[in-house]
Amino acid sequence: MTTTLAAGSLDGSSATPPPPLRLGRSRLYTRRFARNRPAVAGVVIFLLLVAYASVGARLTSWSWSAQDFLTLTQPPGGAHWLGTNQGGNDVFAQSVHGLQRSLVIALSVSVLTTVVSAAVGASAAYLGGRFERWTLALIHFLLVVPSFLVLALVSNRAGGDWRILILLLTLFGWMFTARVIWSVSTSLRERDYVLLAEFMGVPRWRIVARHIVPHLGALLIVNFTLGVVTTVLSETSLSFLGFGVKTPDVSLGSMLADGSATVSSAPWLFVTPAGLLVLLTVSLTLIGDGLRDALDPTSTAGSRR
Amino acid sequence: MTVVRYVARKTIGWLVLIVVATNATFFLATWFLDPRSNYRDLRPVRTDEQIAHALEPYGLSPRWSVVHRWWYWLDGVVLRFDWGHSPTGVPVDSEIPQRVLVSGQLILLGTVASVVIGVALGVYTAGRQYGPVDRVSQALSIVLFNIPTAVSALALVLCAIWLNQRAGSTVLHVAGADTAGVDGTWATVLDRANHLVLPTLNLTLLGYAGWHLTQRALLLDTLNADFVRTARATGLTRAQAIRRHALRACLIPTATSVAFSIPAVFTGAIITETVFGWEGMGRYFTETIGQNNVDGVVAVAAFGAVATAAGAILSDVATVALDPRVRAS
Repeated sequence: MTTTLAAGSLDGSSATPPPPLRLGRSRLYTRRFARNRPAVAGVVIFLLLVAYASVGARLTSWSWSAQDFLTLTQPPGGAHWLGTNQGGNDVFAQSVHGLQRSLVIALSVSVLTTVVSAAVGASAAYLGGRFERWTLALIHFLLVVPSFLVLALVSNRAGGDWRILILLLTLFGWMFTARVIWSVSTSLRERDYVLLAEFMGVPRWRIVARHIVPHLGALLIVNFTLGVVTTVLSETSLSFLGFGVKTPDVSLGSMLADGSATVSSAPWLFVTPAGLLVLLTVSLTLIGDGLRDALDPTSTAGSRR
Repeated sequence: MTVVRYVARKTIGWLVLIVVATNATFFLATWFLDPRSNYRDLRPVRTDEQIAHALEPYGLSPRWSVVHRWWYWLDGVVLRFDWGHSPTGVPVDSEIPQRVLVSGQLILLGTVASVVIGVALGVYTAGRQYGPVDRVSQALSIVLFNIPTAVSALALVLCAIWLNQRAGSTVLHVAGADTAGVDGTWATVLDRANHLVLPTLNLTLLGYAGWHLTQRALLLDTLNADFVRTARATGLTRAQAIRRHALRACLIPTATSVAFSIPAVFTGAIITETVFGWEGMGRYFTETIGQNNVDGVVAVAAFGAVATAAGAILSDVATVALDPRVRAS
């Protein structure tokens, strides 16, 4: 708390009385974040991508699933802004739908993995004993198992349903974060307020939920953003190989696969999904790094240098 | 001697893990892949009876219980090192050796090149924090770190095709691991090396960035540590103090994380092999899943587990060598 006040007065606001503490802290975070130019650029790019995915479908009369048999593999320009693919699908409409699909999958998987890994990591650290040992053994085992292979096996059988893909990516995506959260929580469990709660007779699951997890807030937020990136990357790989989202559905990864055979004769089929993917992952990484710097109390990044 | 014992003990631990992972994959694959579907599209239409009969010699008969099939497979692997057959009767062993070599060199070269380049760049830029080289290389690494493997591989193909068209001849081969009809030792070596360039470049470009960013951050945290200042005070130059004291300390976390990077490199190799048309384990992985080849999938899983274990053991040895606090006991 003292750092908040000190930082506030350093910024030249010492003449005015300091604002209420909560507001002050969120203000400090916003200010730190806003000073980080790459992070702000990341937010702008990400918002533009979300806008592209949400209102893009209204801008064109073509539907992503409709086939225009008069124009197959047509370069960009004319009625089809970004060209058409081998089946006569409009690339712009498909990229809007594909980006939507990739975003929904990545965001939901990241929310779910963050929740699961926080619950597992924090409980393992707090409860200790046999539960901790077995959880860590499971995490280590899952980390070395070729999870991509298992993912491909199972999701191939699921037939390209994106909801099942979300479940699968969550099932094999929580371990690493859980390991990190476990190692941070082991120090939290020694804190005085945890001891106090114990003496007061607070149930153990409640201590985990109310006293340990909230102190992992910054870590969880950063891991959430970076988790979105990881999920986008693995979803793209799976769909590219034909094991993730499959036709008739479309994601950015399956669009890449469509374009891969004709990368030199029809480069527009490759460039559109590739560009969107890179913008998406890079913008989210910049946001994640910016958040880490803004939320980290010991961080000097984002201050004036 | 203690180091040998240490490595032996670690190896046994990993062997157990490999055995468990491979057997678990067998059950998963049996559960999720249906070898019968390879016969369903045949004309004239086969009855279920005929299909089961055709699959029986390969130990894939649906009339056998899962445990029976597993025992048949395990028996072959343990007693004859026979990894089984595809549903159409192609022995897995006939595919594996060549493919392991192809993928092995790709993964090994990709990992070594990424770690060496990434760590070197991290050390170089950490000494010049916020300088122009540091800022440019960091921006580049952040972008490269986030490019999906498929995108970068296809972009490399596009560049190489453009280069070949400009040069008017095939400067870089875009597809395959070798050219058919090349004779002579040197010609073969050169030809294979040329085919290696693009796939290895792809794995390296995507892999080095992570090592660069982490090594830079680790070294920056260590540069101002007391033991580095003490080293400077004994009369070492800044470069010497960084190389002998700071770098040595912060190579340890890097060495331990090499092991956990191998599965990711393998995933990258699967896509790289698909794009560049290499007949390696990665391609085999996509083919076997597509063809319901249970035994083939299990062989790929075993290869992945062995590659991870090899990386982990090497990184353990490196940790022991680097960290004076870790005793090999």
